[in-house]
Amino acid sequence: MFKAKRRTVVTVAAVAAVLLAGALTVTLTQGSGQASGVTYIGGNKSQLMYAEGHRPVAPDFNATSLTGSPIRLSSYRGKVVVLNFWGSWCAPCRGEAPTLAVLSEQYRSKGVSFLGDDVGDTTANALAFTHSVGISYPSVNDAGYAIVQDFSRVAPVSDTPTTVVIDRTGHVAGLVIGTVSYQTMNTMLHDVAASR
Amino acid sequence: MTEVRTPKKRGAAEGEDNVSFGITETEPDATGSGAATGPSAGWLRWGWRQLTSMRTALVLLFLLALGSVPGSVLPQQGSDPGAVQQYFASHPQLAPWLNHLGLFNVFAAPWFAAIYLLLFTSLVGCVVPRTFRLAGSARTPPPRAPRNLERLPHSASFSSGLAPAAAVDAAATVLGGQRFRLRRPASGDPAHWVSAEKGYLREAGNLLFHLALLGVLVSVAIGGLFGYKADKLLVEGQGFSDTLPALDEFHPGRLVSGSDLAPFSLTLNRFSASYLTSGESRGQPSNFDAYVSYAASPGASQRTDHIRINDPLSVDSVKVYLIGHGYAPVFKVTDAHGKVAYDEATPFIPANTGTFLSDGVVKAPDASLGFMGVFVPTAVSVGGELQSVFPAADFPAVSLIGYSGNLGMNSGVPQSVYQLNTTGLAKIAGSPHLMLPGQTWKLPGGRTITFTGVRQWVSLAVTYDPGQVPALVCGILALAGLLLSFLVRRRRVFVRAVPSPAGTGSVVTVGGLARTDASGGFEDEFASLAAELASESRESRERKPEPNNQSEPGA
Repeated sequence: MFKAKRRTVVTVAAVAAVLLAGALTVTLTQGSGQASGVTYIGGNKSQLMYAEGHRPVAPDFNATSLTGSPIRLSSYRGKVVVLNFWGSWCAPCRGEAPTLAVLSEQYRSKGVSFLGDDVGDTTANALAFTHSVGISYPSVNDAGYAIVQDFSRVAPVSDTPTTVVIDRTGHVAGLVIGTVSYQTMNTMLHDVAASR
Repeated sequence: MTEVRTPKKRGAAEGEDNVSFGITETEPDATGSGAATGPSAGWLRWGWRQLTSMRTALVLLFLLALGSVPGSVLPQQGSDPGAVQQYFASHPQLAPWLNHLGLFNVFAAPWFAAIYLLLFTSLVGCVVPRTFRLAGSARTPPPRAPRNLERLPHSASFSSGLAPAAAVDAAATVLGGQRFRLRRPASGDPAHWVSAEKGYLREAGNLLFHLALLGVLVSVAIGGLFGYKADKLLVEGQGFSDTLPALDEFHPGRLVSGSDLAPFSLTLNRFSASYLTSGESRGQPSNFDAYVSYAASPGASQRTDHIRINDPLSVDSVKVYLIGHGYAPVFKVTDAHGKVAYDEATPFIPANTGTFLSDGVVKAPDASLGFMGVFVPTAVSVGGELQSVFPAADFPAVSLIGYSGNLGMNSGVPQSVYQLNTTGLAKIAGSPHLMLPGQTWKLPGGRTITFTGVRQWVSLAVTYDPGQVPALVCGILALAGLLLSFLVRRRRVFVRAVPSPAGTGSVVTVGGLARTDASGGFEDEFASLAAELASESRESRERKPEPNNQSEPGA
């Protein structure tokens, strides 16, 4: 009687351990899964769009632009906002800036506003760059990455540069981690700007 | 005395739990009922027994240690991908083979995972059943008293004026008063005896040790899955928020993603390093203090603290350690139109940690200028060469080599901020140029660079290890359990009384057995206990002249 019980205990422990090991193996090999409502553009995990109804709310901010004027994200409600996290020290950001400048001109009439978020930078360096490249849209000063931190809690803003597209209702519609290409941004903006 | 082992085998061994040799107990059972379960179950059980044996665990532990060797000898993808590329370039034949074996990413290799999962299974499979057995053993009552108490390692006998039942009752009272666990004969048994056992705390300690060992395993797993480590370099006056893009390096646990980071922010207000200014160890650091202000989350109140070496800041279960420091000379560069193209404190990396002679680069792509520089905190000229004689910034100076041209930063290809690729750049005449704070170097094309001052930077390590505290607690508990199981003796005392041959009264025999007497001392304990039993027996008689009728209702 007692021995039979002991054997049950051993068996239960064995099964539990095997299950535990199996669960561990699965988690270790699989990594984190894919969220629902997310599509990757061109099978590239760094370019993603959220389906309507799955879009996280873009955290509002109230910041100061590089030239000293106040900028509040929620005041852009009703417009599509392209928020580009960049720094003048970051070569990929400098590389993609002309593309963003072209897109901002192209989509100006379609209710799309471009906004920069200058991180880890000094105002002097940032302005020297925007002047030399001819960026006309404003950038907010985010030297301490506070706005990046807020966004990283709702969407995978994990590198500099990252570009976030915010729809007219203030929800994150998609984002590109790393350098943007004209084609990807054009597709994304075409989509998001079309819906009211 | 103690070599008399025979009695153990007979009476006392009846309840003797061969805890650590459980196999002997399950063996007969396996042949009995195991026949119906078929040979595959037998093989499974055999395999399981092999896996959970101590020897296998030790072999696996050894393999784990052996397996981590290539992880520290060969460059690893996770920590230094550049070095892996270099290795591929310098060993084109060998590197692909090593790569096939996963030796460039050892800690993520399947064979490495196999070793530690097997080890984990082995430990769990060994510890869990043992825990149950220990729990069972802590509950078992003492065994029946053996017939011949004289054959136990310790024994004594005395004659008592009490009848056998009363004598045993008196002994039971004494033993019970000393918090022995008692066992009396079943009703209907004509014999008069009492078995007593003490020291169950030993089993409790053993149990605690095994459970705590499991706890340590789980804690380490939690730390590995949910913890992270990150590095951040911060110049005085700068701040950062704990988020992926802001961190210089990030080593996450298996189940950590960017949104799991603690949402704190931190600003370095001031850093001060003091050095010994005299004596033999002149120049040795005496104190480092990083004065910071921080907020545990966005919108939370700002607080201040100062971080020292080995005295980290704790914020929202994350620890921020001070792990390095250096100088960041501040430069201002103007372009051909006199407009500011660069104005920033630029971290230079110490090349000599004794004198803090440091190297760095300044990149002002919007003025088409790049500089390689050497910073010295306390400058002297040794034969025309710039040297530093003291780590504090007492007489700072920089020496710059200037380059003019397109730095290639607008091409989009990532560059290190600590390196300047000079191909395609023209060296500026007059380089290297020595500058003191406040001095300006006039460059070709109306451009200028001014060395405006010096700030300091610190290197911070942000670590989150949710398994750290549980592992420490479990470690302490394991130690406490081990001590209990070593220090507490489990000992048994038996008392038997038979009618005295003389007629009235009885002969009382006391036997003692310490099951583990590593620390010794049971002999003395037994002797004093036996004496107490004898004297109690005598006193009871004096108090109660005719106890015979009253004290044996159950006998």
